[in-house]
Amino acid sequence: MAKNKTLEQLTKTKTIENQNKIAYLFILPWFIGFILFVIYPFFQTIYNTAFQITSEVNTLVYDYNLNKAGGNFGMAFRNVYFFPQLIDFIVMEATYVPTIIIVAFILAILLNTGVKGQSVFRVIYFLPVIIMSGPVTGILRWNGAGSLLDYNRNVIFKMIMSYSPGLAEALSGLFANFTMVLWFTGIPVILFLNALQKINVNLYEAAKIDGANGWQILWKIKVPIVKPTAFITAVFTIVQLGTYALNPVYYTIQNSIYTEAAGIGLASTFAFIYSLVVFLLVGIAYFLLGRPEKIKHVTLSSIQRLNMENIAKRRLKQKNKEVA
Amino acid sequence: MKTLLARFSKLFSKTEQMKSKTKEYIRTHKTRITHVISQIVVYVFLITIAYVFLYPIFKMISLSFMTSSDLVNPEVVWLPKIFSLSNYEVAWRVLKGEVSLVNSVKYSFLLAFFQTVVSAITGFAFARYEFRGKKLLYTILLLSFIIPVPILLITQYNMFTSFYQSVGWTGTGKGLNTYQSQLIMAFFGQGVNSAILIMIFVNFFKLIPNDLYEAGKIDGANPLQLFWHITIKLSLSTIVVVFLFSFVWNWNETYVTNMLVGDGVELFINQLGKFDSLFGTRAADPARPDQSSGMQLVESYKMAATVISVIPLLLIYFIGQKSFVQGIEKTGITGE
Repeated sequence: MAKNKTLEQLTKTKTIENQNKIAYLFILPWFIGFILFVIYPFFQTIYNTAFQITSEVNTLVYDYNLNKAGGNFGMAFRNVYFFPQLIDFIVMEATYVPTIIIVAFILAILLNTGVKGQSVFRVIYFLPVIIMSGPVTGILRWNGAGSLLDYNRNVIFKMIMSYSPGLAEALSGLFANFTMVLWFTGIPVILFLNALQKINVNLYEAAKIDGANGWQILWKIKVPIVKPTAFITAVFTIVQLGTYALNPVYYTIQNSIYTEAAGIGLASTFAFIYSLVVFLLVGIAYFLLGRPEKIKHVTLSSIQRLNMENIAKRRLKQKNKEVA
Repeated sequence: MKTLLARFSKLFSKTEQMKSKTKEYIRTHKTRITHVISQIVVYVFLITIAYVFLYPIFKMISLSFMTSSDLVNPEVVWLPKIFSLSNYEVAWRVLKGEVSLVNSVKYSFLLAFFQTVVSAITGFAFARYEFRGKKLLYTILLLSFIIPVPILLITQYNMFTSFYQSVGWTGTGKGLNTYQSQLIMAFFGQGVNSAILIMIFVNFFKLIPNDLYEAGKIDGANPLQLFWHITIKLSLSTIVVVFLFSFVWNWNETYVTNMLVGDGVELFINQLGKFDSLFGTRAADPARPDQSSGMQLVESYKMAATVISVIPLLLIYFIGQKSFVQGIEKTGITGE
């Protein structure tokens, strides 16, 4: 008993507690900034959605308008630009994010096969992250440099065009921005590659001994282990796609701040609805790819399952032979 | 006739032999051949994708050298017939190159400096100390990354407007339309992608062995000394990584800058965004004003301007490319 007390005294002396309290001092600047520039603006903007806000001589006048024809939300729904743009944004996210994740994963797997010049490829794939900004992507898209070659002149494309214009249109929609889509894979490729390199080689060995082929290793070992990375990548991509020139919603929000009829209230409503959509998208990504606590068991049980499947197959073969 | 037949049969048997030999070779070296073929396929795929990645950049550079006659000439695809730098001269004038370059470098540098310092301090606290509410704060920090910028920016804009007015800090060079608001935000750790930068630091600082800190404590070092002499001096490479990322992200940032700075400060990125409208007033050579009527907005000028605005970033990237990639690996957001 006495011994325990001395141990406690040793580990929980006042100096250590005080030293830990120093941490508050270290995070103080960030914390103040967080309260001032994140927490307060977040809730203030949500509060704004219920008001028609006009600025009169350096002060903002708040006028409650939620009771008048749905207030800002009604106006937002009736707005000609906002909802079509929002739907465009959702469609873009829904098509780009899976493409980016899949392409990045494939690239990472190929880079991880031990090709020579891996670092050169990594440098090339990461380059767009550095130079990508609103105006630059905007100009490259406007110029058509973002489209995949001159697909219009391509013979195969013309053949498809003559057989089925609808399919050609869908394809051109993908190809017209394909390079830009690829440009977003810069960081995902690195993340995936890093995750793949961390997989214990013994897992592959064990699977091979049990008779697994490359395809099975890919689906039952690599994919489950990389899943948490895919979730983080998806969140990152969802956020990144929003911030570039590809997203017209941002500019509608910005423009409506300055127009008198709409004002800050409507802009806040736009921003609020947009944020809800982004949170929803992240939620969907979490639902599909998240839930990381399961992963630890998956790696082991997948091998066990593989083992059992192979044994079952062998037995089936033997039975078939015996029957024959 | 007979000799011909004999020859033919000889040839036939030879080919048969060769066939069986190759079959034998394929049978014995099956894994090796499939390996070589798969390697070739992988390389072809990777190189094709790399080409697609670089295509817009190559196209941009090629277009930036073309004159208007080259642009309409169908024979000219990549290499312009007359190599001239005149596009760059015009683009430099339209961008107000000498002003924009200094401003872009200066403000990206200042913002990156503040961001790096504050992120390092915050990261140190999260990595080294156990304090009440740490987990909650760290979770909030990570979650703040997904909050879209507009929802914060509207109120931030109002806050800064009313703050500057109440303090009386208005006029040219003060308050809005200058970089001061963004510098304040960076100082309080709320710059571009600050959450990621803090995360990089936290994950790296956690790798520093605890024994070093214990030794420091026994020698009587205070927390600031521990921070400076152990943490900072051991993680110079990470600091460089964070600084470079912050620099590049601040350079490329447009949305917040548009709202809080607007037209007040000439930067490469915002000048590039308004290239079309600026072209009419600035494109003409002041030395030869008579030429201005002939000036047309051609995409080559725009491409040249884009190249100019991207060159500093490319320079930084090719000097520090290894640390960029390592930086993303170091964030440790890959699952552990």
